[in-house]
Amino acid sequence: MLQRFLDPKVLGGISGLDLVAKTVVDGFVAGLHRSPDFGFSQEFAEYRAYAPGDDLRHVDWNVFARTEKMFLKRYRGETNCQLTILLDMSRSMQFGSQGMEKIEYARFLAACLAYLAHGQRDAAGIVIFDDEVRNFVPPSTRQGQLARILHAIESAKIGTRTQFENPFRHVQEFMRRRGIVVTISDFWDSPEKIIKTVAPLRFRGTELVLFHLLDPEELHPKLNAPALLEDLETGETLEVSPDYAAHEYPAKIQAHIADIKSRAQGAGIDYFLIDTSRPLDGALREYLAIRRGKL
Amino acid sequence: MGFLAPWFLAGIAAVGLPVWIHLLKRHKTDPRLFPSLMFFEKREMSSVKHRRLEYLLLFALRAAMLILLALLFANPFIRRDAAAVDGRKALVIAVDRSFSMRAADHLSKAKDEARSLISALKPGDRAQIVALGGTVQALTQLISDPAELRAAVESIQQSDSRASFGELSRYVRTLSESMHLPLEVHLASDLQKSALPPGFADLRLDPSTTLVFHPIGRPVPNFAVENVVAPRRIFDPKKVRVQATIASFAGPDDKLESVKKNVSLVLNGKVQQTKTVDIAPGGRAQAEFLGLDAPYGFSKGEVRVDGGDILPADDRFFFAVERADPRKVLFVDDGRHPRAQLYYRAALESSGDAQFQLEIARPDVAANQQLSNDAFVVLNDIGTVPASLEDALKKYVNAGGSVLVVLGPASAAQVRVPLADESVETASYAGREGDRFLNVSELDAGHPALRSVERFSGVKFYQAIHVTPAKSRVLARLNDGTPLVLERTLGEGKVLVFTSTFDNVTNDLPLHASWVPFVERSAAYLAGSGAEQPVNLIVDSYVELRTADNKSAAAEVLDPDGKRLLSLEEATSARNFAVDKEGFFELKTASGRHTLLAVHADRRESDLAAIPQETLDLWRATGGEPGASGPQGTSTDKKPWPLWPWLLLLLLLVAMAESLVADRHLRPAASPETARKEAA
Repeated sequence: MLQRFLDPKVLGGISGLDLVAKTVVDGFVAGLHRSPDFGFSQEFAEYRAYAPGDDLRHVDWNVFARTEKMFLKRYRGETNCQLTILLDMSRSMQFGSQGMEKIEYARFLAACLAYLAHGQRDAAGIVIFDDEVRNFVPPSTRQGQLARILHAIESAKIGTRTQFENPFRHVQEFMRRRGIVVTISDFWDSPEKIIKTVAPLRFRGTELVLFHLLDPEELHPKLNAPALLEDLETGETLEVSPDYAAHEYPAKIQAHIADIKSRAQGAGIDYFLIDTSRPLDGALREYLAIRRGKL
Repeated sequence: MGFLAPWFLAGIAAVGLPVWIHLLKRHKTDPRLFPSLMFFEKREMSSVKHRRLEYLLLFALRAAMLILLALLFANPFIRRDAAAVDGRKALVIAVDRSFSMRAADHLSKAKDEARSLISALKPGDRAQIVALGGTVQALTQLISDPAELRAAVESIQQSDSRASFGELSRYVRTLSESMHLPLEVHLASDLQKSALPPGFADLRLDPSTTLVFHPIGRPVPNFAVENVVAPRRIFDPKKVRVQATIASFAGPDDKLESVKKNVSLVLNGKVQQTKTVDIAPGGRAQAEFLGLDAPYGFSKGEVRVDGGDILPADDRFFFAVERADPRKVLFVDDGRHPRAQLYYRAALESSGDAQFQLEIARPDVAANQQLSNDAFVVLNDIGTVPASLEDALKKYVNAGGSVLVVLGPASAAQVRVPLADESVETASYAGREGDRFLNVSELDAGHPALRSVERFSGVKFYQAIHVTPAKSRVLARLNDGTPLVLERTLGEGKVLVFTSTFDNVTNDLPLHASWVPFVERSAAYLAGSGAEQPVNLIVDSYVELRTADNKSAAAEVLDPDGKRLLSLEEATSARNFAVDKEGFFELKTASGRHTLLAVHADRRESDLAAIPQETLDLWRATGGEPGASGPQGTSTDKKPWPLWPWLLLLLLLVAMAESLVADRHLRPAASPETARKEAA
């Protein structure tokens, strides 16, 4: 029932991005409560020795009474995490064959992730980029952070072509602490170059997640007749036969996906292919799994 | 090369349509946006190039279709040498088998000519054998098998028909137009002048046709019984008169002396009378035979002239006669008109064939008589008709009998005309003083009863009974509008009304020349003999076997050899049949009437005079000259050769190719699932 609300086509009809995020995440979280595998509420995580400056409210006084030593009781829900979303706004993201462009799907996904992080009291930030960084909201847990992120997502405009070097260099400069970096892009570049660009972040202990957004038409293009195709980013045109589009192209794109996936796994990066015709829950589930497991 | 309808070439402008579709419209194709072309490689262009070639081929085929369609409507032709169309010869060998070819051994000579022509055929030459009579009968197709051609020549039988060279020309024209072949027509015939058609235009040949004559025999004197006039029925053998016309058809070098010939009248194989006549060269003589002692029933008559000429078949002339008893005419009179009886009897008995016998009866006596044996009944102004007589007459007429009602002073007092059932108004009078009389002003001269009455010219009518015609047809009127002769059909029979008397009181008709023809014609009409078909016929005439009324009854025809001519189906369904040879045919029509038909050949065949050489040259000149060449031959040998069949074939082929290419070019790409299935 709730799955229906996660359908991208349904979400497209909702005007506000915050409302979209709230609809998706609330519905998604409510669904999770029914599943023991995904419970994550205020669970006890560990004890830590008191250090001066720690909040006395978190001291386990029962332990102190028995041992006269002060320990702080920590819960999973209270473990802070820094989520940085890298949202690709290149022109190729403007493509969409199912009534929704990839960029809209990416916006929903980014908003949902930000909303989810906000609900977890994680610091969340966003980087809007194409070949350069177009907008940057640093991760924070301050009041109004979610609104800032959503505004940045909403006001982002389609840029030119994808270029990972500059945005990732920028992210490396401001990433001072560990966190999760989620990259939402269609990754129309060579897998080697992509992984080579994003992998350095991983060395600093940052968890990297690649959300690879592809339209069904990109996976299995349907041509009834020879067609003149125009590259959205470069403007280059090429006549393509239906035969080629039906047989050779799908093999090549699958090889491309497999290449990215294997290289990402090799670099310790989480890779998740998202078909824009499918609901958003897969991506959210991926995020939560990482967050739970890695903290 | 030319075009019969060049305006249709404007349709070639329609080629602009595929140009627009394929070349102009193509540039307006919007490119389809795609995120990245990184997996589309240059080498894949080959398939597109292949399709582009198909695209151009499709364009070329469609343009060709439109051009071919426009050319097809423009109907192009080329002028080709007729001989070049087919290097081999095509011969039509016509053998005349008409009645005149019975002369001596003309037919066998004509066959010999045909055989020699067949022997002269070169390998690959084709020929057709046709037999020429009243119609042209093709005995073979255009074939090159000499054995079959010879067999066809052997199968030609003598006929009694009249040759028609007009029919031959028409057949050759049709053959030449349908086969598109130059024909060489060989005519083996006696080339009778009488076989020419009335108009020379009917002899016209196709320009590609060459005519070669093979004259058989030469014109020689010939005697023939040209015509015989004999009564169809004999009632009194002593009164029969048979007239025969003997004709002499002279040759070009005949002596100018008359010839004595014996002419015999033969009946049922027995010579009854013989006469001698003098016949001038090229002239005619009459032989008249009085009396014909024929037995009752049908007899086969024949007039013969002494033989000795080249064509013995026309020295006799068949005729058929039927001996019968005179038929009774009942003249009902109350005794008040003795002169009417006298005049009517005299007129009826003056007829040469004595067909009728008058019987006088009073009305009360007539009422008790059997009327069915009477040829017809005359009611001569008897005033009140007894009811029993009127009933008997009505039955008689309804069953097919006829009544002549004569009105006079006694009828003027009646309200209605007996049988005709018309109201009697009054009597029209014209005083004798001062030449006040009435004449006939309107008359249906085509009616069988009034055919030879000369419009009753000079006959003065002083009194006529005025009858208002409501159900009857008026055949003659007086000049004051009073109907004089009326006719009404009643059941199967008919009633004729004469509104004045037959004596010399109310008119002077019996004293005029039109009286006897009127009585004769009206009697013949009322007795029903006018509708009979003739029994003396020319070969190729048609005889009626049945009317629309008697469909299921069977008819029968026996030919002169006694063979049945009709199959079972024809016997029950055929409306008529053609008599195709001389002799006596026995006929039983579907109505059950038995008739003996005498059939003789058309006597124009007896005139063996040949067509003048100038006429033959003119006839030949309507076609092509044999072996003509040079400037004279160019106009006749060159003929327009239509190209539309080839264009149509080409158009069909191009249309099929267009369908195949368009199918390949526009076929939707197979889905990956289908492709996988096919691969599996």
